[in-house]
Amino acid sequence: MKRALPFLAFTLASLLSGGCDAPDVVPTADGRQNTRSARIEGNLVVQSRARGNAIVFLYDAANPPPPAGSGRPLAFTVVTAEELFGASLGDTSPGPFTAPFALSLVEPGRYLLRGFIDADTCRSVPQPCHVSDFNPWYSVTAEPNAGDVGGGAVDPLTSATRILEITTDADGWPQPLTGVSVSFADSATVPFDRPAFQTADPREFAASTTPTKLLTLTPQVLTGAVDQRPPGFWVQLADANKDGVPDDANGDGKPDIAWPRVIVRKLAEGVPGYVDDTDHDRDGQPDAVVLAAGLVPDPLLVALLDEQGKPRPQPVFVPQLLVAIRAQALDARDPAAPTPLATVPPGRYSVTLLQSTGQTWRLPNELDPALAEAVGLPGVASQAFVLEVR
Amino acid sequence: MNPPTAFRRGALLALCLCATEALADARLEARRHFRNGMSLIEQKNFDEGIAELEAAYAIKPHPSVLYNIARAYQDAGRLDEALDAYKRYLASNPPDATNVQAQVTRLEATRQAAQAEAPEPGAQPGTAGSATGLPMPPPPPTSIQAQQQLATLMERLEKAVARAESMSAQPQAPQQPAATPGPTTVSSSGGGESGDTSGDQGLVPYEERVVTASRRAQSSLEAPNATTVITAEDIRLSGATTLPELLRRVPGADVMAMGVGSANVSLRGFNQRLANKVLVLVDGRTEYQDFLGLTVWAGLPIGLEEIDRIEVIRGPGSALYGANAMLGVINIITQAPGTGRRARFGAMAGGGNTVQGSFVSHGQNGGLRYRASAAYRQEDKWSRDYESGRPDFALQGPADPDLGQRGARANLSTVYTFQEGQAIGVSGGVHRYLTEIYPLGLLRNYYIDGLGAYAKADVELGAVKLKAFWNHLSGDAGPQYEAIGQRSLGIQVASNVFNGEALYARGFELAGEHQVNIGVEGRLKRVAFTYLDDLREEFHAAAFVQDDWRIVQPLRLIVSYRVDRHPLLDKGNPGIAQSPRLSAVFQPIEGHAFRASVATAFREPTFLESYTRLPVPVPGVNGVSLLTTGNRTLRPERLNALELGWRGESPRLGLDWDVALYQNTVKDLIALSPVQSLPAGESYDSGTGSYLLGRSMFTNEAAIYTARGVEAGINVSPIDGLGVKASAAYQHISSDLPDEGQCGTCSQTPAFRLFGGVTYRTRTDLEFGIEAAFTTSTTWVEREPSASDPTRVDLIANNLPAYTVVNARVGYTVVKDFVSVALQGSQLGGGHAEHPFGNRIERRVFANLTVTP
Repeated sequence: MKRALPFLAFTLASLLSGGCDAPDVVPTADGRQNTRSARIEGNLVVQSRARGNAIVFLYDAANPPPPAGSGRPLAFTVVTAEELFGASLGDTSPGPFTAPFALSLVEPGRYLLRGFIDADTCRSVPQPCHVSDFNPWYSVTAEPNAGDVGGGAVDPLTSATRILEITTDADGWPQPLTGVSVSFADSATVPFDRPAFQTADPREFAASTTPTKLLTLTPQVLTGAVDQRPPGFWVQLADANKDGVPDDANGDGKPDIAWPRVIVRKLAEGVPGYVDDTDHDRDGQPDAVVLAAGLVPDPLLVALLDEQGKPRPQPVFVPQLLVAIRAQALDARDPAAPTPLATVPPGRYSVTLLQSTGQTWRLPNELDPALAEAVGLPGVASQAFVLEVR
Repeated sequence: MNPPTAFRRGALLALCLCATEALADARLEARRHFRNGMSLIEQKNFDEGIAELEAAYAIKPHPSVLYNIARAYQDAGRLDEALDAYKRYLASNPPDATNVQAQVTRLEATRQAAQAEAPEPGAQPGTAGSATGLPMPPPPPTSIQAQQQLATLMERLEKAVARAESMSAQPQAPQQPAATPGPTTVSSSGGGESGDTSGDQGLVPYEERVVTASRRAQSSLEAPNATTVITAEDIRLSGATTLPELLRRVPGADVMAMGVGSANVSLRGFNQRLANKVLVLVDGRTEYQDFLGLTVWAGLPIGLEEIDRIEVIRGPGSALYGANAMLGVINIITQAPGTGRRARFGAMAGGGNTVQGSFVSHGQNGGLRYRASAAYRQEDKWSRDYESGRPDFALQGPADPDLGQRGARANLSTVYTFQEGQAIGVSGGVHRYLTEIYPLGLLRNYYIDGLGAYAKADVELGAVKLKAFWNHLSGDAGPQYEAIGQRSLGIQVASNVFNGEALYARGFELAGEHQVNIGVEGRLKRVAFTYLDDLREEFHAAAFVQDDWRIVQPLRLIVSYRVDRHPLLDKGNPGIAQSPRLSAVFQPIEGHAFRASVATAFREPTFLESYTRLPVPVPGVNGVSLLTTGNRTLRPERLNALELGWRGESPRLGLDWDVALYQNTVKDLIALSPVQSLPAGESYDSGTGSYLLGRSMFTNEAAIYTARGVEAGINVSPIDGLGVKASAAYQHISSDLPDEGQCGTCSQTPAFRLFGGVTYRTRTDLEFGIEAAFTTSTTWVEREPSASDPTRVDLIANNLPAYTVVNARVGYTVVKDFVSVALQGSQLGGGHAEHPFGNRIERRVFANLTVTP
């Protein structure tokens, strides 16, 4: 027993010295444990008779979505119609309806939120109508259609888009943004379908010998799984200061055409599908090679000006667009100040039409018959068009 | 540690080592004394021989030793001592007590007769009797009953002698133990692999015996597989506080501790999160959880203090045990009811806020024996993955984020013996526990807060044994941490398994000696799990036969065949899996067995692999999920194995060893496929309100893997006071993939594993044990959402450095047979991780108190 005493004392001392410590926090190799992020959360406020899931997108404030920019969402969340409208899901009451939303694992930065109600207009509108058909995985299904209700995080007084900033505290921990309100209202109902188009012009563009390539775009009506019925191209004169007088920025005496806009961008080579090339010169630096392109205004001005040559007060639909693509490549990493490139990189280029509602359409897309069947979409031959620059 | 400190500590250790008479590995040392004793007795050196036997008995009591002491005294003509020894033997309540009591009665009659006919003073003892100097034979039985008892005893003795002779190639080797009528057949819980034979309770005292390799008791030398036995003494001296820690000593065992209660154990490679290729049994009852395909080690309803021994069969076991015994079988055998102390209280406390209390009680009332136990344990994690109060992740499930495991359990095991060879055992237990588990794919650390329960009945009717059990698990199983705002996964699980089996064993002579085992088995599984597409139910049936055929004296062939019917094995329809095995065991000289084996084994698809439909949230994109789906047309994972082995022992030197070389060819491994896009019409999951990035489905890999390895283990107790265990394993896994770099399974298997342990036990009051296990570095290929685009899943190679696990224990008996204390050091090798996503393991010290009033 005599020998037991020091033994027991040692035991007790060992336990007292190490027995009560809480385990240390030691992140494992799991990537999420080694990053610091926060969240943006708040409520959706919907005043609408439309019914459908609410989709909320998170954008980098420096890279906003169309029509202000060409940014793509960093993340999105879905608030289901059941959660949002509850017992009113089966009626057409205007609300307001509220439901919580959250965007998780948001790193420090400046963001803006946009969204829409992916409405099932067939509930209340006779054909043609749209069921809830948003699908983020395909460019032809990833944007709102006619009848969807737009929304976003906006300043309640000015209705200007609200910039949301995730900041960090003194220890470097990002601070969550809570209480953010994202509003949707029938007043922001999307008026048209997307500017789906086609062209019958040749694909080839010999940039070294041809200074300008012309493409004639006409609306492409699609039915079935991808349902787009554009009534034409929604054309609008520029009036940046909203004084009712069309702008003439280049001073050519003709009003400028503000919408739609055309982007011709290089596609990646050697990868399946049609993916933008973000590093065309393979130098490891991201870039965005575009060709200088725009609408030929003269045919449009005929529709936009009245008999006296004065601008019509409203935008108009036109049945076709003539696009001029110059043999001039630009690095558009900074869309505000694109940098001319010395040569036009040969390869495949896409043509994207961007209308004033922020809706876009791009050729080529997943309706290319070579791609469509594999992903369960209807193949449409015209949607396989790709500009081949030599 | 500076040199003077090291010197002082070394001197202290040396002082302790030299302070008292010591004992080494008890079984080896007792065996050494026993063999020496029997040899001396054979040479008529009765006093010295009996002293050796007494020494063996003192080290490790074995009823058969008492019997042999009695026989030696009887042969020496010392009837008083013989009678005393027989009575000591009877006090151990042997099953043949009736026969031995008759023997005692006869000896007492002989003694009385001898006293009555005592010679005149000065006459030489024995001269009035036979010329051999032995006492007079007992008088003829006076009753029919006594005659029958004597006839039975003689028949048993003759059989035992013949059996012992057949086990030894050298007739002059100690045969006396073979005459032991010790307890050989009475079952504690019925099944042959269910702990019916304590490790040293066979015909030959201190012979290492196993029941798992052939589903019947046999010498480990006769086992057709590489076998490792971990005894209760090993457990006590090791310093290990969990079952997986103990298994590090098994050559070829991959033990991957993820958390204090979470470990994955495999044999001969192929370890992974949710290790699923080793069948774990507790007294012959499976602990494999079919819904996920894993063993929840912290959920086992038993504690270390209840274990009699652990038998580890390295290599395929499907020929006897069917599905999931692909790389081996770990059979945990608990103490037979009624074989321990009336009460044993244990308490442990230490690092990580560890608290444990346990109680075990054995008892007997007539033919009824029981063991009852209850325990509680809780322990903090080694490390936490996330801090509290983070703005992005929040704790789910258990309220205490530090808690690694917690459990309260109770067991009752009873056996009622009607007569020799006829017994019924009923046992049951319940375990309410919380622990960590680590699932597959993008899933990380989970908790399981569940209730485990079982009930089991064993019936032994001579050659026929019946067994039925029910296993239950229900509770919550979900991620410990989830991104705030992200959709939570469902967590409910309820699993029930009903199993019934019948075994028949018979020996006969036909061109040699045959020992045939035949069994049939049926199993119903019902699983309700929120990860599955519905409540699922499967019924499995199986039959097996094994013939252990001794063709000639040193050579035995063991032929085994099992067929399992599984409801999905034929492309989603009921199909069968066949598992043949052929083994040869050659024992040219005593104490050496050479074995060769060719076998197949399989693992059946789990419920998770067959029926899952689980949209897993993609981190950082709350509107997106990745769909994981089961596959009902999976083929079972298959293994073809070749093995050569040499098992040997040198009792006089206190030495055992085992060497094994093997080649395993594994195909049809089941794994998650790369993410495949879904058709546009299937992209939205209305159940979760999320868009499905794609689908990852359980599929059979096309690759064929070849694992080659060598394992060696040695136990030595050369001198009193020192026991040494060491093992080494080398393994190389290759595949037929064109690029070796694509073989994640190959890089995840450590090439070398080394184990060394030293134990020292003084005869009076001190015990020391220290062991170290070294594992070489590995590279784990795991799925990880891309940092730049979370909707893309990348395969990331994570390097895991080599590590060494060191455990130690110092024990002190304060009051002999009453109070003992111990200090245990766990993971003394310092901080390391055993999987890229596992806890950062830190050293802990525990204090133990054991009271046996």
